[in-house]
Amino acid sequence: MEEILSKLYRMTAFGGFSFEVVLMWFIAFVLLYLGIRKKYEPLLLVPIAFGVLLANFPGGGMGIVPAENIALEGHRYKNLFEIASEYGIMNYLYYSLIKTGFLPPIIFMGVGALTDFGPMLRNLKLALFGAAAQIGIFTVLIVSLLLGFNLNEAASLGIIGGADGPTAIYTTIKLAPHLLGPIAIAAYSYMALVPVIIPFVANLLMTKKEFKINMRQMDKLYPPKHKIKNLKVVKIIFPIVLGCVSAIFVPSSVPLLGMLLFGNLIKEIGTSTLRLSEAATGPIMNTATIFLGLTVGATMTADVFLSPKTLGIVVGGFIAFAISIAGGILAVKVYNLFAKKKINPLIGATGLSAVPMASRVANEIALKHDSNNHILQYCMASNISGVIGSAVAAGVLISLLS
Amino acid sequence: MQPLNEAILIMAVGMITVFFILFLIVLIGDLIIRLSNKYLPEEAVAVKAKKTGTSSDNTMKAIEAAIDVITNGRGKVTNIKKI
Repeated sequence: MEEILSKLYRMTAFGGFSFEVVLMWFIAFVLLYLGIRKKYEPLLLVPIAFGVLLANFPGGGMGIVPAENIALEGHRYKNLFEIASEYGIMNYLYYSLIKTGFLPPIIFMGVGALTDFGPMLRNLKLALFGAAAQIGIFTVLIVSLLLGFNLNEAASLGIIGGADGPTAIYTTIKLAPHLLGPIAIAAYSYMALVPVIIPFVANLLMTKKEFKINMRQMDKLYPPKHKIKNLKVVKIIFPIVLGCVSAIFVPSSVPLLGMLLFGNLIKEIGTSTLRLSEAATGPIMNTATIFLGLTVGATMTADVFLSPKTLGIVVGGFIAFAISIAGGILAVKVYNLFAKKKINPLIGATGLSAVPMASRVANEIALKHDSNNHILQYCMASNISGVIGSAVAAGVLISLLS
Repeated sequence: MQPLNEAILIMAVGMITVFFILFLIVLIGDLIIRLSNKYLPEEAVAVKAKKTGTSSDNTMKAIEAAIDVITNGRGKVTNIKKI
């Protein structure tokens, strides 16, 4: 009888309970609450949070094991069948879909098919502010280094400042895969907090007069030199040419940028490739999102996540975000010193990615100060260029550090 | 000190590359707009061909004819819903 009870006890998870495990469940519940109730990026936060839960059920065998466990001699790795049979299906999914860097470009293809380059093409100069807003990535790289992270970890932490989930995940996979869980959580959490962070930084750096700069009035005073006569043709040619040019100058950005531009092209061609763009934005992107979220969450086992580095990532991620926003705002302010046609600095604030939430937030702030000042289209120009900017920054980091 | 120097160098290279690529995007975009304005100034207007005997027209006629027969000419098709 005693033996049966002992076996029964061993069959359950009670023997594996520890303070760390319960703490991880609590973190998972908080993330689920934020995703479900507060609607903070629920499409990703819910799968990530559930992945955390799955990984931390003792005996469940769903936690991701370190890469050393699957490494063989001579820079070789166990095959996927061996990984599946030894460490379970979650490790199979992680090492086939994430570790290979497969899913982030697939998601980028869907993002491309949802992206409209029209606002950027109509306001091309504003694209430059998407570059200024990448300063947070590199500033935090240096700060993290001083805080004790190594170069690869610091670069992965800094890329949170790009405010682009797939880019942050892709860079971390390549440079510091052991930090994937906390970095993904930080990236998506801060993206969800864009409505709080942008007003906070903007209020610190902008004057009331700057909040009221009306872009439409500026356009009337200083109309653009060239109006686009055939937007459809321009939108089709643009991703093809841009894809070629970026591939030549920063080849390491091609997996992300190339897939983004391909997705955009099949959307812009129209009805003849409609089925492809529908697949890219629908079934493919949704499936990729599920597996990305679950597997990234499953990397957050108690022994990996509960370390001082996680706290550093949470703080560093916030600083990266704030500096990127500040970089964009300050770049516009400097531009305004020399230009006749003034630009609302809120447009610079959207130079970090987080499309389209950053633009919507900036537009709402502008409308609060002047109910006729609709700047959404202008913000989208800088916002979309921010996606390209962060992908290029990621490409630079990967090529210099991997 | 060595990694810090490297990080500062990465920052310089990274920011210059990002600015350079986005500057190129501005130039390329501008060039594409100019060329398309010059050589492909207007979108091809799709000429609406008069529909003659398409399958949807035939289906509509069949439904109207059936309603006509069933209601002895009193019924009229106002809405068709696919179930």
